[in-house]
Amino acid sequence: MRFFNRVWSRAVIYIVLLAFTAFFVVPVIWLLFSPFKTDHQLVFENPFAFGTFANLAHAVHVMFTFEDYALLNWLKNSAIYSFGGIVIALICSIPAGYGLAHTQFFARRTLLGITLFVMIMPATALVLPLFLEANAVHAVGTPLSVILPFSFFPFGVYLAYIFYSSSVPKDLLAAARIDGCNEWDVFRRIALPLARPIIALVTFFAFVANWNNFFLPFVMLPNSTNYPLPIGLQDLLSATPAFNPGQGGQVPIYRPELAVATIVAMAPVMIVFLFAQRSLVSGLLAGATKE
Amino acid sequence: MAPVSLEKLTKVYPNGYEAVHEFDLEVADGEFMILVGPSGCGKTTAMRMVAGLEEISSGIVRINGEVVNDVSPRDRDIAMVFQNYALYPHMTVGENIGFALKMKHTPKAEVEKKVHETAAILGLTEWIDRKPGQLSGGQRQRVAMGRAIVREPKVFLMDEPLSNLDAKLRVQMRAEVARIQRRLGVATIYVTHDQVEAMTMGDRVAVMRAGVVLQCDKPQTIYDHPVNLFVAGFMGSPSMNLFEAHLGEGAMTLMLGSQKVDLPATVLSATPSLARFANKEVVVGIRPESLSIAGTKTQRGAKDHISFEGDVDLVEALGSEILVHFSTDAHRVEAEGMYSEDAEGLDAGLITQRGEGVARVPPETQVVIGERVKLEVNPTRLFFFDPTSGHSLAD
Repeated sequence: MRFFNRVWSRAVIYIVLLAFTAFFVVPVIWLLFSPFKTDHQLVFENPFAFGTFANLAHAVHVMFTFEDYALLNWLKNSAIYSFGGIVIALICSIPAGYGLAHTQFFARRTLLGITLFVMIMPATALVLPLFLEANAVHAVGTPLSVILPFSFFPFGVYLAYIFYSSSVPKDLLAAARIDGCNEWDVFRRIALPLARPIIALVTFFAFVANWNNFFLPFVMLPNSTNYPLPIGLQDLLSATPAFNPGQGGQVPIYRPELAVATIVAMAPVMIVFLFAQRSLVSGLLAGATKE
Repeated sequence: MAPVSLEKLTKVYPNGYEAVHEFDLEVADGEFMILVGPSGCGKTTAMRMVAGLEEISSGIVRINGEVVNDVSPRDRDIAMVFQNYALYPHMTVGENIGFALKMKHTPKAEVEKKVHETAAILGLTEWIDRKPGQLSGGQRQRVAMGRAIVREPKVFLMDEPLSNLDAKLRVQMRAEVARIQRRLGVATIYVTHDQVEAMTMGDRVAVMRAGVVLQCDKPQTIYDHPVNLFVAGFMGSPSMNLFEAHLGEGAMTLMLGSQKVDLPATVLSATPSLARFANKEVVVGIRPESLSIAGTKTQRGAKDHISFEGDVDLVEALGSEILVHFSTDAHRVEAEGMYSEDAEGLDAGLITQRGEGVARVPPETQVVIGERVKLEVNPTRLFFFDPTSGHSLAD
């Protein structure tokens, strides 16, 4: 009876896992196979059929050369906006989290509460006031109109605050002060080197948020040469007869080419995750147990 | 001029809690001063005020005659060893030890030389390139000591540095810390809750409770002449046996529960204050090692020894000695002030339980659980305390 129960509970676990795997992985597998097929094969044949390398080469060539290498331009813009935002976000959020965790100043708790409140606000709600601010300083249409808002990352501040308050003992900083450090030295020589896991974590989350951000660049960047990948892809989709027959555009982009563009948009996030995953786990678990 | 001088040092937290109350202390050059007391007595807070890690509410801290209340920790010429070592995990042992010298812009060659010398003193040469995470507890403790020693400070501060070590290592490190301190001859303030460390390591001991210093003297003096019930019960392991008793006329008899014990005249002559307590309640204290068991090979037996009876509840054989737990029908006293945060708690009365006590006897003593034994003590080894104030009645 016990054996039967064990087999049955194992079977249920595997069924549930397989169902979730299928739900998330099948569309990705379909997407990865798509550039190897023609448009007709993609719609009417087995979605898991492989296709040919010739089809792939054609789709890649068409997509990358489309409109004077627009896809590469969008990729470049996304990289600039994302990494520009990440650098400034790290410069601001790590010291801010440290300050909130380990220094005493007037209204510290209030500031922490405000950080939490802003963190849970939907980013979309801030786009209009940000547009008005950018417009007031004539920044609309420039990369700064996207990079600077991207730098605003209260979640990073909160992650750094949690890390410093739980994983860096106060005595360690006190020892540094006694050993001759001023407050800047305490941060630079002790607190910052210990924050490698959390830097990786903040970098990853900021990168994913910035890379996938649609609405802010959509509002701030009217000129198509400044588009990041999400805006460029959306523009491409709406001009493609395959997806938008009523548009009447004659853009020679079909579904396999769109699959190539989608894979190009996804790949950086997956690559960053693969490299950062060890640090992500240690960053997420930092302070979980007392040492 | 004492390297460290504390004058009416006080710490009151924003919520009104007074952690340290008018703390006066002087630590001479080369002296090993121990601050001992139960958790929450203010000993660590007092030390952190000396270090500059805690704001001072009132009072003065002087180091080498100079008032340092508003001086930052890095400018006080002190070194501190923390309870949890506080080693920099991303630096090697060598970098940890040399960090303070590096912050003082000491030339690299000199830093290297001093680091290697210090590592050699502490037996750390082999591990100089390792990170703290790769070391054992004892090794980390030595690195923490090395980081303090290399700076050649005016004052060492040590905050329960041995409390995270296992018992055996603690005994070993205790000796090592004392040896290093004597060799360096630096004024040291050492905080501990362990009265064994206090007795064995310090030149002087300050016993604290609820932010107040109750007694500050040589360890043996405190042990032999405690000023009150708290100090008497705190110092010594096992604790002093404290019983409520009724003193008879002329201090010639003592009623311990239902047992009448005759006292020689020498008791009153040695403690004249007892005369005020004739026909009144007193608290009598007996150190476990002062008791012997009559009728055994190890009985100390002298004619003027007094005796009372007790039932053996438990026998703990420790190898070098035996602890005999006994009970009588006298009431055992535990000074409320030992556990209460209220410094005036002693006046509020004493918590009493059934009269359980402990006798420390030689290992060859034969006793059986459940046996009724006669416990003997030299009357000159008795301690007497006022049951209301807890103060010792000895002059």
